[in-house]
Amino acid sequence: MVQYSRQLDSAFAALADPTRRGILERLGRGQASITDLAARFDMTLTGMKKHVQTLEDARLVTTEKVGRVRHVRLGQHRLEQEAAWMARYREMVEGQMDRLGAFLERTQEDNP
Amino acid sequence: MTSPAMHTSPKAKVTTPGDRDIHIERVFAAPRDRVWKAMTDPALVAQWWGRGNKLVIERMEMERGGHWRFVEHTDEGVHGFEGRYREVTPKDRIVSTFEWDGMPGHVIVNDVTLHDLGDGRTKVVTHSLFHTTEERDGMLHSGMEGGLNQSYEALDALLTRM
Repeated sequence: MVQYSRQLDSAFAALADPTRRGILERLGRGQASITDLAARFDMTLTGMKKHVQTLEDARLVTTEKVGRVRHVRLGQHRLEQEAAWMARYREMVEGQMDRLGAFLERTQEDNP
Repeated sequence: MTSPAMHTSPKAKVTTPGDRDIHIERVFAAPRDRVWKAMTDPALVAQWWGRGNKLVIERMEMERGGHWRFVEHTDEGVHGFEGRYREVTPKDRIVSTFEWDGMPGHVIVNDVTLHDLGDGRTKVVTHSLFHTTEERDGMLHSGMEGGLNQSYEALDALLTRM
């Protein structure tokens, strides 16, 4: 679970960016080259490479170079991501319950 | 002397009845009315829902079919969470869907019930059921396949009778 959490932390950071979320959405419909993606999102190749690298580091995508073209597709670790998402979600709700408890105690005098 | 229960809330009890669901029970040292208000008044929700980061409650239409969308602003970026309310029974129950922008298509269905313990405390039970894209697509796929095969069988039967 610890490694799941760490992976999901990088996934959270990777996905905080709307362009990167758009890239994943696009890849959900099939693989694409970096050139395709750069054109689709109106970016330079260098800019797109950086985004793809961030997604690859978070294991959300994999890339493969065929000839001179680098193909990008969704990562192979969907199930791990889902397990990580469940763990993270559970932590989130537990944290919320703790904060709700603290909030109710804090406001007890105001609202008897 | 006041009861210690009025000052300390027991930690949440968490169980995972199945692979895809999480069951969380938590007792709060507050009457049900106050707990309900803290969970449904946007101005109050903003004070505890997020992790101490700025939380913008963009929508919170607490009625059947209504949308909710909360956006957390952190140093690293922005996290959006949203869903729809499926059932809202005042002071009793909220059933809603939950999605994080970062995991599109991964829908969690939350069933939250409030139980008056009769001693000024309230138990909140959260049951979360995870739906994965694989499951959804799988169901869709097999359903369509089954439906298609049935249609073909019906067509076969019709053709043999003609």
